[in-house]
Amino acid sequence: MHTKHGIAVSPGVAIGPAFVLGVEDFRIPHRSVSGDAVDAEIVRFRCALENVCREIGDNEKLASEQLGTQYGAIFAAHQEMVRDPKLQGEVEALIRDRHYSPEFALSRVLGQYAKVLLNLGDMYKADRAIDLYDLEKRLLRHLLGERREELSNLTAPVIVLARDLTPSETASLPKRFVLGFATEVGGYTSHTAILAGALEIPAVVAVGDIVTDVSGGETVILDGINGRIIVDPDEDTILEYRDSEKRARSVAERLVSQRSLKSETADHSRIWLMGNIEFPEEAEHCKELGADGIGLYRTEFLYLESSREQSEEEHCEAYRQVVSAFPEQPVVIRTLDLGADKVPSQMPQLYPLGANPELGLRSIRLSLNDLERFKTQLRAILRVASLGDVRIMFPLISSLIELRQAKSTLHDVMEDLEEQGVPFNRDIQVGMMVEVPSVPLLAEDFAREVDFFSIGTNDLIQYTLAVDRSNPAVAKYYNSADPAILRMIQMVAAAGEKHDVPVTVCGQMSSDPKYIPLLVGLGIRQLSATPHVIPQLKEVVRHLTIPQAEAIAAHAVKLELARDVETYLRGELNKLCPDLAK
Amino acid sequence: MTLETTSHREVTVNLESGLHMVPCSRIAEHVRDFAGTVCIMVEDRSVDAKSIFDLLTLRAPLGTVLTIEAVGPNSDDLVQGLAALFERNFEPE
Repeated sequence: MHTKHGIAVSPGVAIGPAFVLGVEDFRIPHRSVSGDAVDAEIVRFRCALENVCREIGDNEKLASEQLGTQYGAIFAAHQEMVRDPKLQGEVEALIRDRHYSPEFALSRVLGQYAKVLLNLGDMYKADRAIDLYDLEKRLLRHLLGERREELSNLTAPVIVLARDLTPSETASLPKRFVLGFATEVGGYTSHTAILAGALEIPAVVAVGDIVTDVSGGETVILDGINGRIIVDPDEDTILEYRDSEKRARSVAERLVSQRSLKSETADHSRIWLMGNIEFPEEAEHCKELGADGIGLYRTEFLYLESSREQSEEEHCEAYRQVVSAFPEQPVVIRTLDLGADKVPSQMPQLYPLGANPELGLRSIRLSLNDLERFKTQLRAILRVASLGDVRIMFPLISSLIELRQAKSTLHDVMEDLEEQGVPFNRDIQVGMMVEVPSVPLLAEDFAREVDFFSIGTNDLIQYTLAVDRSNPAVAKYYNSADPAILRMIQMVAAAGEKHDVPVTVCGQMSSDPKYIPLLVGLGIRQLSATPHVIPQLKEVVRHLTIPQAEAIAAHAVKLELARDVETYLRGELNKLCPDLAK
Repeated sequence: MTLETTSHREVTVNLESGLHMVPCSRIAEHVRDFAGTVCIMVEDRSVDAKSIFDLLTLRAPLGTVLTIEAVGPNSDDLVQGLAALFERNFEPE
């Protein structure tokens, strides 16, 4: 048994066999071929044999030169296996007579050989099993080439371990078979992590070397609550986890059953709990979980998931789908927040990253730099805004001039729509994200020019504490509970109250139940969170009174260290809702 | 036209670890281009010397006496060559 630590990005516990992605694991996609493809398949098989033979020849040369001829001889033996006329004859017979695919035929024949050899007794035991496996791997790699099948071919539940997963890989994980996943790299707020939360798959990222340490098939416990992976756990550990898994599930079921209850404090103050979403499909799910609307609709997927630029109509369709799930409740659409960790693969040339991409041309700066693309999105949002309570939000505003430029572009678009006689909503609420420390410092100035604020804690923490949120080496410096962050939220809340500008907190902080009493106590009445935690947040809200929350906030802001704040808040949560405390 | 002949020869396995993968591969390599057939027999079993997978099933530890049988053109030369391979313990010449 050994344990690896990483960053917990999506809660839950999963126990199952490891499936290592990105290393040598080949699944055979098709067991049979059609009759008229037989000749072509045989040619394909022979090509693979030839290529592998050449490849092994290179290995032999290298091994002989660098390690000695006795090592080279091993490869020479492998080469002899590839040239074995019996192997070729039997595989081709299976392809020709039984219409097996070369991959399947090969693994059948090699499987039989391995069995025969294994039954012979001790003499060959040490070498051949490994050698045959190696040979099979080589041949399959050549046969499958780029068509290597991985996640899409899973047939049983597994825990996926990978060097990294791209957002689209994460999004396409077959939920039925993926109990959880862990990656070697990544951060708390990486795109992949956010998606894992959205998909409700327990996940741990930044665990360091794992793909090379685990071969696949071992039992793994993925602890998405504490950010741990336990490989080959002992019986006691498994029992312990099974137990807590069961408890967590019963709590979750109870909470979901309360979804129709209103989100208000015990003393009847309304707290709006909205969902952060990535894909339009998630809107329905948010509704099922009892969300009061969508507080953050990220729109990057329109660029990240497609191989080409999306049209205005496609934007409209993606927005309309969400509005139809929440026709009467707020749907806050954030304009494109691309750049830095979110670069569309089809247009890297547009994103000169520079040495400090997080401080470079990203987010609203990118939009203002490419007005045509920006306007396409604005037109779509304005048009859909006539169908419901759609609001528009600009990300990463750092100065008044940027905000004014964004707003004036919006007005230009309104003029265009007006001229063209296209229906839209002129009275759309316009807000901004609070993510750069310059904004809390000048919150009153900004408050005069927007309809609402939404504090994006992920970036605010990154920029305030100077921590690259995707770098595991400095992850420990990234802390939502830092007194500086609390102070910033306080400043924005105060400015909002003074100028009657509502303040929402989105970002990972508002998805963590222990921060809810603090945020409410600081005056926040709107929260937008990862959908699956909404039932938990509601549970906290319903156990809380405003004076209680204010007392908690008053105490928390006096503490000097992030660690103390966190411990204190965890303790308070434990008093309020022992079920939810971790 | 070369005449088809049949040749026999007995050889002894002098390898500490028996006739394992590497020597088997040397045998297969040696006979690969032979135009006829080559069998290696021990007791009642016989394997095709051109197939390393077949050879591996021989189960021939140190001291095993094997019979080589070659049928084809110049079978004598082939058998001589194979016997020499056994005699120098599969070391390169």
